[in-house]
Amino acid sequence: MAYLAMATGFLLILIGFYGALTNRNLLRMIVAFTIADTGVNIVIVAIGYMRGRTAPILDSTVSAAAAVQRIIDPVPQALVLTAIVIGLGVTALMLAYAYKLYEKKRTLDIARFTELKG
Amino acid sequence: MNALYLIAIGLGTAFLLGLLNEQRRDLAYTLTLGALTMMSAISASWLVVFVATGAGAVDIFTAGTRPPFAINLRMGLTEATLTLLINLTGLFAAIHMGEVLLAKGRRAMAVLLIAIMALCGIVLTRDIFNLFVFFELIVIATGGLVLLSDDEHAVSAGFKYLIVSQFISILLLIGIIFGYHATGTLNIDGMAAIGAGGFALAFFLIFIAIVAELKPFPANGWALDIYESAHPGFSAVFSAATGSAALFALDKILAIGGPAWYPVATAIGIVTFVGANLLALPQTNDRRLLGYSSIAQTGLILTVIGQQDILGNQYLFIAGGLLFAHAVAKAGLFWLSDFVAQRELTAWASLKERPLLVFAFVTFAAMLSGLPPFPGFYAKWELVHALAAADRLALLGWILFGALVEAGYLFRWFGYLIKRESDEKVACTAPQVIPVAAAVLAGWALGFVWGDLSGRSNLLLVLPLLFALGFLLIEWAPAWAKNLLAIGGLSFYLLQTWQDYDPLRLIFLVIFTLGGAIIFLASFHAHGRRIGFYPSAMLMFAGLVLLIQATDSFGFFAAWELLTVGSYFLILRGKESEPHALSYIVFSLGGAFLILTAFALANAVSPAPTFEIAALATLAQPVAPWVFLLLALGFMTKTAAIGLHIWLPGAHAEAETDVSPMVSGILLKAGLYGLFVLLMSMGRQSLYGVDLVNMLLWIGALTALLGNLMAIFQEDAKRLLAYSSIGQMGYALFGLALMNHLGWLMALMFVINHYVYKSMLFLSVGGVAKRTGTRAMYRMGGLITLMPLSFIATLIGIIAMSGVPPLSGFGGRWIFYNAIMDAETRLPMVLIFLSGPIAFLYLFRLIHTIFLGQLKDEHRRIKEAPASIVLPQMIYVAILMGVALFPGLILRRVDAYISQFLPDGALNWDGLTITSQYGWWNPVAIMIVVACIFLLIFGWLLFVNRKAQKVKQFNIVFSAERPYRPETTHFAWNFFAPYKKAMGFLVQPFVTRFWGAVTDLLHTAGDLGRRLYNGNGQIYAFHFLAFVVVVFAFKAGL
Amino acid sequence: MDFDWMKIPYAFLTVFIVVNYGFLMGALIQKIGARAGRRHGIPIWQYYLDVIKNYGLRSSITHGVMFYLGPVFRLSGGVGLLLFMPVIYGSYMFSNFSFAGDLILALYFVFFGTLGMALGAGESGHPHAAIGVTRGLQQVSMAELPFAMAVFSVALQYQTLSMTDIVAAQQGGLANWTLFTNPIAVAAAMLAFLGSMMRPPFDVFIAPQEIPIGPPTEYHSSYLALMQTNRAIFPVAKIVIYMNLFFGGAGSWPELFVKVFFLYLFSAFVGVCFPRFRVEQSVRFFLVWGVPLGILSIMVV
Repeated sequence: MAYLAMATGFLLILIGFYGALTNRNLLRMIVAFTIADTGVNIVIVAIGYMRGRTAPILDSTVSAAAAVQRIIDPVPQALVLTAIVIGLGVTALMLAYAYKLYEKKRTLDIARFTELKG
Repeated sequence: MNALYLIAIGLGTAFLLGLLNEQRRDLAYTLTLGALTMMSAISASWLVVFVATGAGAVDIFTAGTRPPFAINLRMGLTEATLTLLINLTGLFAAIHMGEVLLAKGRRAMAVLLIAIMALCGIVLTRDIFNLFVFFELIVIATGGLVLLSDDEHAVSAGFKYLIVSQFISILLLIGIIFGYHATGTLNIDGMAAIGAGGFALAFFLIFIAIVAELKPFPANGWALDIYESAHPGFSAVFSAATGSAALFALDKILAIGGPAWYPVATAIGIVTFVGANLLALPQTNDRRLLGYSSIAQTGLILTVIGQQDILGNQYLFIAGGLLFAHAVAKAGLFWLSDFVAQRELTAWASLKERPLLVFAFVTFAAMLSGLPPFPGFYAKWELVHALAAADRLALLGWILFGALVEAGYLFRWFGYLIKRESDEKVACTAPQVIPVAAAVLAGWALGFVWGDLSGRSNLLLVLPLLFALGFLLIEWAPAWAKNLLAIGGLSFYLLQTWQDYDPLRLIFLVIFTLGGAIIFLASFHAHGRRIGFYPSAMLMFAGLVLLIQATDSFGFFAAWELLTVGSYFLILRGKESEPHALSYIVFSLGGAFLILTAFALANAVSPAPTFEIAALATLAQPVAPWVFLLLALGFMTKTAAIGLHIWLPGAHAEAETDVSPMVSGILLKAGLYGLFVLLMSMGRQSLYGVDLVNMLLWIGALTALLGNLMAIFQEDAKRLLAYSSIGQMGYALFGLALMNHLGWLMALMFVINHYVYKSMLFLSVGGVAKRTGTRAMYRMGGLITLMPLSFIATLIGIIAMSGVPPLSGFGGRWIFYNAIMDAETRLPMVLIFLSGPIAFLYLFRLIHTIFLGQLKDEHRRIKEAPASIVLPQMIYVAILMGVALFPGLILRRVDAYISQFLPDGALNWDGLTITSQYGWWNPVAIMIVVACIFLLIFGWLLFVNRKAQKVKQFNIVFSAERPYRPETTHFAWNFFAPYKKAMGFLVQPFVTRFWGAVTDLLHTAGDLGRRLYNGNGQIYAFHFLAFVVVVFAFKAGL
Repeated sequence: MDFDWMKIPYAFLTVFIVVNYGFLMGALIQKIGARAGRRHGIPIWQYYLDVIKNYGLRSSITHGVMFYLGPVFRLSGGVGLLLFMPVIYGSYMFSNFSFAGDLILALYFVFFGTLGMALGAGESGHPHAAIGVTRGLQQVSMAELPFAMAVFSVALQYQTLSMTDIVAAQQGGLANWTLFTNPIAVAAAMLAFLGSMMRPPFDVFIAPQEIPIGPPTEYHSSYLALMQTNRAIFPVAKIVIYMNLFFGGAGSWPELFVKVFFLYLFSAFVGVCFPRFRVEQSVRFFLVWGVPLGILSIMVV
């Protein structure tokens, strides 16, 4: 199960990369990056998963003493949360950029914004 | 104060700003500045604590738990210094961008605070995921701050940056999670304890992501666009602070990877350094050029990081020296660029009206080029020594090559600044000036600190240098007062120190100081304040006397660089001297790098904390010949030996009237001094069976011939003298390379004579050029009656130079003939024999076409040159007469001194006759006999021809016509046409073409490289991924 | 050797003898040259007449100080060269001022007169003077090269720069002459000799027949007389160097007269046989023929 998730994650990353590199439309690129980000998140979670264990929530079913044997690693999940937040921020920023770029040139083609070069 | 406050203040103030009323912009700005000041103060207080107490690093734990269960920060000496750098950069950037920040409001300020806070976080954190978060914060903040620019292209630049950042962060995140999976910790130290062996691929991803933050060549197109289009205030942060933080981050994570990854870092670093510098070469946009330069400097520091295994406890000193020199200078230059209205490099000419801004530019350029007394200089010295000691010579070569290219474009830029014209006015406001001033002060302060830390002599405490720099403080004074002070300083130095030296060094010292003082007499002709002249000139003289003073390699090299830089500024003052000054500095720095390498190699085989120059004598095979070769080449760039000479004619000819004698009569002797020292200590060396001294002999002879030959075809009087200097230096080199007693004596005689007559001729020709307004000899003529004193000086000068008895030049020739009687090789003499009479040709041309022949109409009313220019000439005439009559006064002491090294062949100085084992020579008798014969015949002529009448100019007849136009009657242009027909094949500009081709090649390479950066953000993403693949393959192949 | 006052009258005597000899020999050679060209030629005392006439002329002008001093330099150069050499081997009387310097002094003093003359002629403002000077200098610069190498070769051979010692080493028979002990050097030197004697094919810079060119262009009356006097002394002095270096020197005046005459005749002989070179041709000639000989002489000695 974990391997499947991980494979899916990597597949999504690759799809994202492929999309970002082949689509010249800014919005499509941004979407591609979100796909890749999602893939990364899946990979992270998959890494933290341990077969046959429960969610890392200390409550009545899982006591603090037994936690080490009972729960899966909570760190990746924490990381995923952070990563999602950051990914959201970056995506928002990119969208804002895309908007500004479109405002300026009335196009979303990345190949049109090449005034700076060399 | 707890270092966490660095984060807390930045973050807290940013949030606070969000709560403020949008209209209270002043308050918001004050808060921002206050926060940045506080953060700087915290860093500074930590720095003071660490420096004062020498305490170790302090770990700061969060969440009440120890790692790996919580994030920890670490504050040590390095962290304190770096955060101070970052916070101060942020503070001054905020000051610099005040106007924009106030216009954009609190959000922009908050973003800036977040950026600075995140940069501090990168430096402080020991948690790798935390590192990722801070990097992402930087990405977002950068994305925001880029938009502060009013450059319309900034938006697309920001987007390209974001695209690549996405790739980077994805790779980083995957790397981190797999690293965590393998080690069970996110703590960097914890991971380092386990090592990257178990998760090499994951570590590679982390590594490559952080490397990408350094904008490695060639995967860095996005960064360049940011540099070019962002607000310069922010570009300074992006270059100085972001770069420093990312470098430190890389240093941290390399602890995980361990030494196995050092070669990868080195390879990426050096490729970046060289590549970015090459690509910077054809740039015309100032900020893009600064971007390339930033990338290059980062690459250099990355190289140093990759070399930490051999740097030992010098690692931080070197990396820090380079980093701070880069950060301060680059931030300063970015801020400075705001004073310039247009983005072409040539537009910087508008700064030249403001000497203080020029000074700022000089400071920054010198810091970047690693010139003394700035930190980069000390760092470069130690780095090169460490590399040589570890036998990493290829890397050493590439580093020096890159540095030379960098110095080339920086000084070319400086040339534009000084020499180009601009109509723009510089308008500067206090907020713009303060950061630049702060960077300048920081630069000098860092120079002092690094000098202090170096464990060698702190150059900023060396008296002659301080004296020279002192002239910067009295630039407001009139030129004559500064001139008096300069003369006084030089004379005082000589009086104070002359007892300390052996006769040989004393002669050089006298020429450098007293000789300089005499030429300074001519400088009294200048009016006004003559800004820039005295600091430059005194810098050169400081370098010269320090060169004599130096006993160890460090002192010698530092002096060498100082005199090079000083003379460069002097040369650049000439009207048309921009390209010549550039080629001078490039050749000189190239030569200096060779010298540096040689010292490093020598020090590597005989390790000592300070390498005494005298210890060159103890070197053995196989290093000794290489050291010899490199040193000889280095010194020969200064003496303009053939092949390395192309900088000289323009540099000497275009220089100002009193500068030409300084750089010709005095400066060239520095190279000869170096060769003297080299040959005295190392003697003969042979490489692959080739006797290197013999090579020098050939080079000297060839230089003498070709220098003289080129001189006879010049139409420009000062160029003629300049080429003649090349020839004369060839003679001196030849004499030295004879490696016998009289050869050295002859070289020394050339040192003295060449100083006297070349200074004299340059002054008199300079005076004539000043009066006639041209240096083209065919446009002069017949000036003998109008400028009689200049004529006399020239006459005496050319008699002395041609070696005709009874003047002092003959002594040189006589010693030469005696010297070659002992020589082991005879063939090179042929070239020397030929060059002697050729010298006659150009000397005759010089005096004839200027002073004899037909006076031109436009010159009929000109006067003798200014008294201040004539006075030193008359002093030289007196000196020449004195040396002609009593050469023994000076030479016999040197003769005795040389006997220590080469006992055979000393001259006998008894009585008035000087005797060698082959012949004799009695200067006084010659003078008396010649004078008697001359006077007798003169008297006879006066007697029979007492009624001679002076006739007017055109009282001549030829071709049955009486001429009336001086232009068509004065035979001067293409004076030696037949010689050109017969010998012209020897003076084709092969060497110029060769160096031209080399320069073109570099430019072409740079231009080709630029095509990589086609401006498409998607392509840049491809670059990045390709870069990842290449680095992976490289690592796998290791 | 050192100075004593008796050397002064001796020096005058030397100059007197050489001047007279130079006048007569010059005229004789010119006559021989004329006869080779099927002309009658000048009387043998012609040079005396010329000099006396020119010293006697009272119409004279000057173009300036250097112009005035030019001939003085020129003649001082000739006289000085003569007096700095031991003219007669073994004779104290005619060793003159050779204590002041060795062979090198003589070689470099040759240029003293040349330089002064060139400057003086230059001040006249006459373009032909300057053209002549430049042509002469260019040619001499290359013509001197084989000679310089030959001198070096000879100095190496005898391991001395003293002219007296070089002559001494050649005593004791014809076979001891440098001519036979070091023939390559002598060959090189004799080519150079042709180049410096102002005779065809190497006399384009003085070009006496067609147009007045060269330093004497503007000189007249007593200036010219000084130069004519020099023209009697200077070639002899110069030939004395050659004689001392290569042809065993001279132990007495008659020996000197004979040797100098034949050496001078050699240049005259070549002169009547060959047409004139342009400057670049003569430069190439010396480069192609003289220089290799000179190099060879240095290498084999």
